[in-house]
Amino acid sequence: MTVTSPELESSAPRPQAASGSLRPAAGWSRAARALRIFVRRSPMSALWGLVAVAVIAIAIAAPAIAPYDPLKSNFRVMTKPPSIEHSFGTDQIGRDTLSRVVWGSRASLMVAFGAVLLGTTLGALWGLACGFFGGRFDIASQRAIEFMQSFPDLVLAMAIAMALGAGTGTVIVAIAITRIPFGGRVIRAVVLSLKEMPFVEAARGLGASNRRLMFRHILPQCVAPFLILATTHLGVSIIIEASLGFLGVGIPPPTPTWGNMLADALNSGLVPPWWLVLFPGVAITVTVLAFNLLGDGIRDLLDPRLRGAV
Amino acid sequence: MFSYVLRRLLLGALTVVGVSIVVFVLMRVLPGDPLVAIFGPEGFTKLSEAERAHYMAELGLSDPLWLQYASWVQEIARGNFGHSFFRSESVAEMILRRGPLTAQIAFLSVALSWIVGIPVAIISALRPNSLGDNVARFVSILFLAVPGFWLGMLIVLTLLFAFGYRAPLTGASLLSDPWTTLQMIVGPAAVLGFGQAAYIARMARSSMLEVVREDYVRTARAKGLPNRLVIALHALPNALLPVITLSGVLLGFVLAGSIPVERAFGTPGLGNAMFTAVSERDVFVMQNLVFLYAVVFVLLNLLVDIIIAWLDPRIRLR
Repeated sequence: MTVTSPELESSAPRPQAASGSLRPAAGWSRAARALRIFVRRSPMSALWGLVAVAVIAIAIAAPAIAPYDPLKSNFRVMTKPPSIEHSFGTDQIGRDTLSRVVWGSRASLMVAFGAVLLGTTLGALWGLACGFFGGRFDIASQRAIEFMQSFPDLVLAMAIAMALGAGTGTVIVAIAITRIPFGGRVIRAVVLSLKEMPFVEAARGLGASNRRLMFRHILPQCVAPFLILATTHLGVSIIIEASLGFLGVGIPPPTPTWGNMLADALNSGLVPPWWLVLFPGVAITVTVLAFNLLGDGIRDLLDPRLRGAV
Repeated sequence: MFSYVLRRLLLGALTVVGVSIVVFVLMRVLPGDPLVAIFGPEGFTKLSEAERAHYMAELGLSDPLWLQYASWVQEIARGNFGHSFFRSESVAEMILRRGPLTAQIAFLSVALSWIVGIPVAIISALRPNSLGDNVARFVSILFLAVPGFWLGMLIVLTLLFAFGYRAPLTGASLLSDPWTTLQMIVGPAAVLGFGQAAYIARMARSSMLEVVREDYVRTARAKGLPNRLVIALHALPNALLPVITLSGVLLGFVLAGSIPVERAFGTPGLGNAMFTAVSERDVFVMQNLVFLYAVVFVLLNLLVDIIIAWLDPRIRLR
């Protein structure tokens, strides 16, 4: 079951990856080796990968890191610029901006990971089925995906988020639905080309069932494109989440999210204080940049053919 | 070509019907009573049972769903997009008044994205992995990560602090007062344009890198054509095809992206109207605007498909 086609050699994980009988120790050393190669080959991406890990760590450890309660207002320090006590300043009702930015990473990452795990995975499985079975199921599915793509994703996410009512779960579902078509299309294309590979034919010739072909032979080859897709869509999901919060259809206040904070800043009056605008936006930008560059690095590592492509 | 266009048109019409059903269903499962949105929670509790039923019937909300859907489609076909709960202006009038501003923003941003993105891509692709290429790639990746509405807020703040300048918030039409209009659209268009330029540059770069390896480019070089002409006449036109497709898709995303960006700039376009409708839970306005956005998006993609088929015979013969 070695992949012989030159065009897939690079993107395919080594054949052992497919046989699930790895000893954990071997798995760890392989992971360490992959990491070493990753750092050597794209130091830039590795560095930003570190930033991504740091953001995740901040989100997990938010209660320990945030100097103040993000929801508690202190009426003695309303709308104060950055100072020693409040390094990012305070908002109109005296809440500490730094603490809110730190807590905001939670909402942002929770939504992004939730949406990608749900949407991109569902889409990928759908694409797998479409590519594998083809025929009427595929044609019908492609029409359905076209329907979903006939809305600009922010508009669709807004409409769904409103229809389902405000809440974290809603926002995750709303963004996840807009992610489905991407997973579906990309993985379907990958499966279509894999299906014609000699190793699939060989397995079929040996009498492998459809289920075995799909999950043991084709699915493992889809892992690389899926990872690339998922990291890219993490960034997109973070931006959509922030936009929804900014437009007031995201996670409802007072939960601190970066989008909500920017909306609050804009609603605070004619001229929003600069520190209320700057810091949440920088947080969004750095996080998205980190995930995008990490995704680029993963792509270069797993599939050098795509280097520099969209 | 004709049969291709016909097929695409039929498919497009089918998509629009599907889209209208999705929009209708989404807007009817909205939680909360529309009367609460109109009268406020306090006003709502003061209404008697009979008054509530009367208002619901007047709004057509007590009819069976299929009847509501049918009458909505019928009204749209007549060009009647209904009324806002809160304003006297009809939705159709609002679209006509505010739509042009958003359309101008969208087209200016596309123009900017090409003006910025294509030269960057050519420079990048001609010297891959050079310093210029790496800088260009990093900047474009950076722009993919910056939320447009935040950049908009920063621009508004900076202009205000540095020059005490604020773009006019109410304006005239492009014809009667081009200068005011330009001041209003240039900010949002620049923000949205740079965001797209990042995608355009990435796509054009990779497509250019592929094209310059083609046989016909080598032939053109072999017959002694100067490099400038090889790029301009042989490589670029072929490299641009996928960029045109992408640009069409992006134009749709610009329409959506203009909702938060117009909000950030305070531009009185359709995006801001959508924001207002959303924050007021103005169901009819939202329903029609979401439908409008989707239809425009479908039409744009249709248009791009046809343009591409016209430019590239390989596609229409497939």
